[in-house]
Amino acid sequence: MGASLPPKEANLFKLIVKSYETKQYKKGLKAADAILKKFPSHGETLSMKGLTLNCMDRKTEAYELVRLGVKNDIKSHVCWHVFGLLYRSDREYREAIKCYRNALRIDPENLEILRDLSLLQAQMRDLSGFVETRQQLLTLKPNHRMNWIGFAVSQHLNSNASKAVEILEAFEGTLEDDYPPENELCEHTEMILYKVSLLEEIGAFDKALEELHKKEPKIVDKLSYKELEVSLLSKLGRPAEADKLYRVLLSMNPDNYRYYEGLQKCFGLYSESGQYSSDKIEKLNALYQSLSEQYTRSSAVKRIPLDFLQDESFKEAVAKYIKPLLTKGVPSLFSDLSSLYDHPRKPDILEQVVVEMEHSIRTTGSYPGSDVKEPPSTLLWTLFFLAQHYDKRGQYDVALGKIDEAIAHTPTVIDLYSVKSRIMKHAGDLTAAAALADEARCMDLADRYINSECVKRMLQADQVTLAEKTAVLFTKEGDQINNLHDMQCMWYDLASGDSYFRQGDLGRALKRFLAVEKHYTDISEDQFDFHSYCLRKMTLRSYVDMLKFQDRLHSFPYFHKAAIRAIRCYLKLHDSPKSTAEEDGMSKMAPAQKKKMKKQKKAEERAKKEAESKSEESTASGVSKSGKKNVKPVDPDPHGQKLIQVEEPMAEASKYLRLLQKHSPNSLETHLVSFEVNMRKQKFLLAFQAVKQMLKLDAENPDSHRSLIKFFLKTESTSAPTTEAEKLRWSVLEAERPSISQLQNKSLVEVNEDFLGRHKDSLVHRAAYAEMLYLLDPSKKTEAIKIIEDSTSKVVQTNGAQIEWKLKDCIAVHKLLDTVLLDSEAASRWKSRCAEYFPCSTYFEGKRSSVMPDSVYNSSRKSNENGDTPNHPMGQTELGDGQVMDKSKHSRASPSQPEEAPF
Amino acid sequence: MVCIRRATVDDLLAMQACNLMCLPENYQMKYYLYHILSWPQLLYVAEDYNGRIVGYVLAKMDEESNECHGHITSLAVLRTHRKLGLATKLMTAAQAAMEQVYEAEYVSLHVRRSNRAAFHLYTETLGYKIHDVEAKYYADGEDAYDMRKYFKGKQNHQHSHGHHYHHHGGGCCSGDAVETTQAEDAKATTSK
Repeated sequence: MGASLPPKEANLFKLIVKSYETKQYKKGLKAADAILKKFPSHGETLSMKGLTLNCMDRKTEAYELVRLGVKNDIKSHVCWHVFGLLYRSDREYREAIKCYRNALRIDPENLEILRDLSLLQAQMRDLSGFVETRQQLLTLKPNHRMNWIGFAVSQHLNSNASKAVEILEAFEGTLEDDYPPENELCEHTEMILYKVSLLEEIGAFDKALEELHKKEPKIVDKLSYKELEVSLLSKLGRPAEADKLYRVLLSMNPDNYRYYEGLQKCFGLYSESGQYSSDKIEKLNALYQSLSEQYTRSSAVKRIPLDFLQDESFKEAVAKYIKPLLTKGVPSLFSDLSSLYDHPRKPDILEQVVVEMEHSIRTTGSYPGSDVKEPPSTLLWTLFFLAQHYDKRGQYDVALGKIDEAIAHTPTVIDLYSVKSRIMKHAGDLTAAAALADEARCMDLADRYINSECVKRMLQADQVTLAEKTAVLFTKEGDQINNLHDMQCMWYDLASGDSYFRQGDLGRALKRFLAVEKHYTDISEDQFDFHSYCLRKMTLRSYVDMLKFQDRLHSFPYFHKAAIRAIRCYLKLHDSPKSTAEEDGMSKMAPAQKKKMKKQKKAEERAKKEAESKSEESTASGVSKSGKKNVKPVDPDPHGQKLIQVEEPMAEASKYLRLLQKHSPNSLETHLVSFEVNMRKQKFLLAFQAVKQMLKLDAENPDSHRSLIKFFLKTESTSAPTTEAEKLRWSVLEAERPSISQLQNKSLVEVNEDFLGRHKDSLVHRAAYAEMLYLLDPSKKTEAIKIIEDSTSKVVQTNGAQIEWKLKDCIAVHKLLDTVLLDSEAASRWKSRCAEYFPCSTYFEGKRSSVMPDSVYNSSRKSNENGDTPNHPMGQTELGDGQVMDKSKHSRASPSQPEEAPF
Repeated sequence: MVCIRRATVDDLLAMQACNLMCLPENYQMKYYLYHILSWPQLLYVAEDYNGRIVGYVLAKMDEESNECHGHITSLAVLRTHRKLGLATKLMTAAQAAMEQVYEAEYVSLHVRRSNRAAFHLYTETLGYKIHDVEAKYYADGEDAYDMRKYFKGKQNHQHSHGHHYHHHGGGCCSGDAVETTQAEDAKATTSK
C-alpha cells in the first residue's frame, strides 16, 4: 500500500490507514491532504481520503474521491477494497461484492479482502460463493481455528451437513488430547454440540449419540447435553431410556411443556390435533396421574389433562384445577383455560362448574361440598372469571353485570377495570373502553403495562393525539432519546397506523406501516456483525438458527400485518387520484378537524424547511469535533405527505406484495390483496393465480367467492381478444376454467346461487351473495337487500351449533348497504336493528353506548362524580391543540369500527 | 399454566414486544441478538398455554470484570400473569445456567430504588443483597441499587477444580463484544 510513494509520503499514507482504524478522522484527513499536495492524483490516497470523509458523513465527496481513486489507479487492490468498503457502509452489498472481486483479481491471496468478501456472501446468502471463499481462507491459513469453523459452517449452510461434519472432524484431528484449555471450555462445548446436532440433522442418530457420550466430560452445558441426548434416544426408538431421561429433566424443570410432549411421544400418546381415542385417553390419564404424584409442584401435570379429558372426568378435573387458583386469585386463570372454548361441550361444562361455585360461595361461603370457608376474595375472582367467560361467549350484558359486581366488591383491583375495558371494546363501545383503560392506568401510574394497554385502547377509539401523549409518559426520560420508533415498538406503529387509516389520513397511516417494514429491514441488517462474531464466539447452533430466523423474518406477524395494510393504503390512493384525494379527505372532516389539518400542514412545511437548512448546514460547516455528528437527521416528511404523492401506487404495492407472496403464501389475505392489485394493474393472469390460491386455501370464504365472480365477470365481459397478448391470455383462461370446480358449465349467476345455497345461515355469506347479485345485475338491487334483511341474528343449526351475528360483520354489512348498494333507507333500517342487538355499540348508536346520554359509560361516570371511584383525571377527551371536545360528538364524527382483538 | 424454557432466536421478537409492554428500559433487536449469540444458555422465556410469551429473562456474563460473574440485563413478566411465581422461575433458571455453564462467582443486577415489588423479590425470595447504590443510574434521575447474589459452594469449587486461572484470566467470560447500538445500559427491573 502506498508503495509508489517516496518514504515520507509512504509514512503519511500509513498514518491515514491507522487514523481510519482508530477513528481519528481529522488526523487522517490532514495526512491525506499533505500527500495530495505533492501527488494530487495518487489513487490510493484519494480513495483513503474518500473513505475517511465517508465516516464524517460527507457522502457525496466520499464517492467522488473513491471513484477518482479507482480511475487513477485501476490496478490497485487497495482502491478496489476501499470502494467495496464504501458500498458496504451503505448496505450496497452486491456492488461491494463486485469491488472485492476486482480487488482479489489483483491480489488473490489477500486474507483481509477474502474475509470481508466472505461476510458479504454470508449476508447475501451467496452460499456457493461463501463456501468457495471460506475454502480459500482455510487453504491459506490452516492454523486458524476460525477458518476451519468458517469452512464447516459454510458447507452446512450450503446444504452439505455431512461435509461440515468431516471438516470438524479433520479440525479435531489437529487438536491435542488435553484440548481445550480451561478458558475455552464454553467455546469447545459449543463446537461439540454443533457437531452432534449436525449428525442429528443428517439422520446419523447412532453416531450422534456415540459422539455425545464420548465427549460428555468436555461438555459444560449439561442441560443442552441432556436435551440433545433425549431427542436422540427418542429418534433411535429407545423409549425406556428416553422416558427415564425426560423424568430427570422434569425434576430439574417441571414447567417445561416440551418435556411432557416428548414423554407422550415416547409412549406413542401424542397427536398433533389433540384428538385421542378413549383407549389412549385412559393411558394418558394414567401417565399424568403418575406424573402428578412425582412432580407435585407442577401445574402442567394438572393443566394438560384438561385438554384430553372428556365430559364427567373433565368436569371433575377442571373443578379441582380451578378451585385453588380462584382462592389464590390468579388473574390469568381465564386466559389459561381459553383454548378449551374451541371444544363443542367444554364451555358449557365450565359455565356450569363455575356458576355452581359462585352460588355455593354466596350461600355458604365455601366451594360446593366443602366446609372450608373461603376468603372474601374468592368470590371476587370467581366473578372476574365469569365476566371473562360471558364476554368470550358474546353475552356482554351478563359479563358487564359480573364485572360491575366485582368492582363494587373490591374497587381497588386494577385488573377488573382492564377486563371491563375489554368487554366494552367487544361490545362495541371503544370510547368507553378507552376511558376505562385510562381509569385503570391512573390507579398505578408507574406500571407501563397498563399504560400500554390504555394507549392501545385510545388508538382503537381513534384518539391518536391523546394516545401519543399517554405513551410518551414512559418514553421520554431526561434527555435520553428513547422514543417508541427507535425502540422498534411495532404494535404502536400498527395500531396508530390503523387509526389514521380509519380516519382517512393515508399519509400518516402509510408512514406508520412503512415504519414497521423499516424495522424489519434494520433487523435483517443487524445480522451483518454476527457473521464474524459467532465464528469467534463459537455459538454456532444459535448462529445457524439466527440465519434461518432471518430468512423467514418477513413471515412474522407484525410484518405481514404492516404489509397488508400498506398495500390497502396504496389501493386507496390508486382508486382516488391524487388531486382529489386531499380535498375528499378535507370535505369529510368536521371544521375543527380541518383547522387541525391546516395547522399540521404548516408545521410540516416548517419541519421541511428546517430539515433542508440542517442538511445544508452539515455540508457547509462540516462536522463537529468528534468527526461524526450526533444530531439525528430531521425527518423531511414527518406526516407522510410525500408518501401519498407517489406516482404509481400499484408499483409500490407490488414491492410489498412480492414479500408477502414469498413469506406468507398460506394467508388468504395475501392473495386477496394480490387479486386487488393485479386487477387494477390489468395483470389478469396474476389476478387469476390469486383467485386460484384463495380457492385452494378456503373456497367457502366470502372473499374467495367475491374474487372469483369479480374476476370472471371482468374477463368475460371484455370484448373479443385482438392483440397477441390478449389472445394468449384468453386461451390460458379457457384452458383453466374447467379446473375451477365451482364453475363447471355454470353461469356466474348460478355459481352465486350455489354459494348462497351452501351458506344460508351465515350473515357474511349472504352479504357476499347479495353484493355479487347486484354486481352481476344491478336491477336485482331490491332482491339483494332483501337477502340481507332476511338474515336472522341467531341460527341454531341441525348439529346444535349456534351461529350468531358478530358486531364486526354487522358493521361491514351496514357499509355495504350504505356505500355499495347505495340504499340509505335500508342502511338506516339495518342500523336501528343492530342498535337493538348491540346496545353498547357506538357505531350503531345503541342506547347503552357512550354516544347516548344514559349509556353504561355515562352512568358510571356519573357515579364517579359522586365520588365512588377516585382518580379519574381524564373526564374529557383532549384534542391536540388544547380544544376539548365532547366525547359523544367525537365518536359520532368518526364512528370507530372494531378490529380483531389483540388482547 | 405457563411453560418455562430456554429462549430460541424465534422468541426474540416476542421478548422485545413483552419488554416494550412492561418496562421503561427498552432495547433494539440487535441487543437481543447479541445476548443470544453470546450466551445462548442465559435467556429464558415464560410461554402461556396459548403460545404467547408472557415473560422473559435476558442475562449475560460480564466481560470486563476479573471475577467471572453474570448479570441480569432485563426481567419482565406481563402484569396479567402475576401471582404464578414466573419471575422467580425465570431468574432461578438463568442463575443456574450461569453457575453451571460459566462457573460464575455471583450474579448482579440493578433495580430502581422505588420498585418495591422487585426489590422484595430479589431480597426475600431470591437472596440478593445490596452491594452498592448507583446515584442517578436511570435516565429519569432515579438511583439504582446494585445488587448481588453469591452462588453457594463457590469457594469449595475453586479449590477442588483448580479453576483459579479460569476465573482470573477472564476465561469463558472473555470475549470480544460486538459493537452494539446500545452501550452498557443493562438495567434490570421487573414489573410489579
